[in-house]
Amino acid sequence: MKEKIERYMPKLMVLPTFIILLIISLVPLIYVLGISMTDSTISKPFTDFIWFENYKQAFKDEVLGTSLKNTLLFAFVVTAIETFLGFLLAYIMRFEKKLGQFFRTLVLLPLFTPPVAIAMIWRLIYDPNQGMLNYYLQKWGISTAPIAFLGQTELALPSIMLADIWQWTPFCFLLCMSALQALPKEPFEAAGVDGASGSYIFRRLTLPMVAPNVLVIFLFRFLISMKVFDLVYMLTFGGPGNSTQVASFYIYRVAFKQFQTGYGGALSILMLILVSVLAMVLTQGRELIMKRTE
Amino acid sequence: MATADDLPMETIAGHNRKKTVAQILLGFFFGRPARIALLLIFIAMILVPIFYIAMTSLKIPIEIRTSGAILPKTGITFENYVKAFRNVPLIRYLFNSLFVAVFSTILVLCVAVPATYSMVRFKTGGAFLNAWVLGTYVMPPIVVSIPILAMVKMVSLQDTLIGLALVHTMANMPIAVWLIDSYIRSLPKELEQAAWIDGYTKFQTLLKVVVPLIKPGIISAGVICAILSWNEFLFALIVTYGVNSNTFPIGISRYTGEHGLQFGEMSAAALVGIVPIYILVLLFSRDVVEGLTRGGVKG
Repeated sequence: MKEKIERYMPKLMVLPTFIILLIISLVPLIYVLGISMTDSTISKPFTDFIWFENYKQAFKDEVLGTSLKNTLLFAFVVTAIETFLGFLLAYIMRFEKKLGQFFRTLVLLPLFTPPVAIAMIWRLIYDPNQGMLNYYLQKWGISTAPIAFLGQTELALPSIMLADIWQWTPFCFLLCMSALQALPKEPFEAAGVDGASGSYIFRRLTLPMVAPNVLVIFLFRFLISMKVFDLVYMLTFGGPGNSTQVASFYIYRVAFKQFQTGYGGALSILMLILVSVLAMVLTQGRELIMKRTE
Repeated sequence: MATADDLPMETIAGHNRKKTVAQILLGFFFGRPARIALLLIFIAMILVPIFYIAMTSLKIPIEIRTSGAILPKTGITFENYVKAFRNVPLIRYLFNSLFVAVFSTILVLCVAVPATYSMVRFKTGGAFLNAWVLGTYVMPPIVVSIPILAMVKMVSLQDTLIGLALVHTMANMPIAVWLIDSYIRSLPKELEQAAWIDGYTKFQTLLKVVVPLIKPGIISAGVICAILSWNEFLFALIVTYGVNSNTFPIGISRYTGEHGLQFGEMSAAALVGIVPIYILVLLFSRDVVEGLTRGGVKG
């Protein structure tokens, strides 16, 4: 008996995790797939089987189109800026050991501030009458009238992006830092002995060697940033109009505010397909680039 | 491009070449002063919003309504804090958050440490299980929120702290595995083999040999999971309805709705929930940075 337990121990150790994975991913997905073909509401799940009607409706749903477009735009812009800034800072930090040490600790603050509190901070900063941004813009004569950053269709999404960049650049920075630290020392020493210039070393050694890892960071962050919900909920609630409507928030609205869990389920499945396809395309794309540079 | 201690700025191959304009410009933008200036700008950008909300929480309410300046001009007051605690059951929200964070973190570690050990050392589940864990982390939580609520209701745990804590346990499990993975990977196998020869079972080896060695990793994963639970918004919004189980993020999100925009109170309340996190982060900053950067890139 004891021997048997010992033999199956590795599997036993994984069992709780396996069960959790089933409960939070596989079972829910089957559930959502099922409910997406019904006309369910939150109090009456699995009523009126209607096949693909919800999906047909979704393809005609303009708000869904807007929210997917906004999600992709949001994810791309914030990820590009966060990865760029994160890499820049990580690279600079290598030369400033003391300040860098301090900076490395400091970046943890935005990263771990509750997103709801981050939203409150930025809501205050952006406020047309009471916020500091408008106050200083007017004081320094950059603008004459208060700007409603969160109240204008063109400005609302970029304003949310800025808050997200404030929060997540540290994450990209830390990952870029670890990528840079993981580089082997020998090529750099050799280049130093050969008398290569700093910029030459950066272009010919650092960048090519670190690029694959930075690409992974970009990918990873891109997929995570598509989850954006808290900031939109707290800063604009999807508005004005649907200008900051993003996929997560729209699904929340349909399923938990309008109680249409059937339709919300269909939207969930569509979002999941989008994320999975993107994940596959991006990883494949990365491998293609890697092969070409080899 | 860079004057490092270990990298020469210019060629040291004998002759001084004339610098081009581009090189001079690059030298200026990437020289030491520029680097320090850039770092200082970023430090300011991180600190100003935090400092601003701290100052706002201390301003007299009338001043908040009339001026957006960072520093208070007409003196400071604790009125906002008094109001924040009086108008909203802030202490209850903080207690709820603390309970959920501690409970879920302990559970997460109990589940994730053995699982990660088994996945790394015995390759249990292989690449498939690894991919499943990572995929679950990347998957947007909203996609599974409808069934999660249904399941929580099925076991009658909606609107309870235990229910939310269980949801957070499951949601944070992939992150914990991801963080602990690299710590176990870096352990020399020989130590465990020696323990087996001494007659330790696999589980004893995990508890008595592996766990003490990966303590920094466990601390790091624990702190990060606790903070993520404390900060978590979507599931808390869906699973909890009232004061008895609302966590801090849900509690303070109420300030924007029911009371109109009371920025003073809002800032005070937000700060009350932020400060414990900052203390925790700064206390364990070394472990947290280590955990995040180690797990960082796995190709």
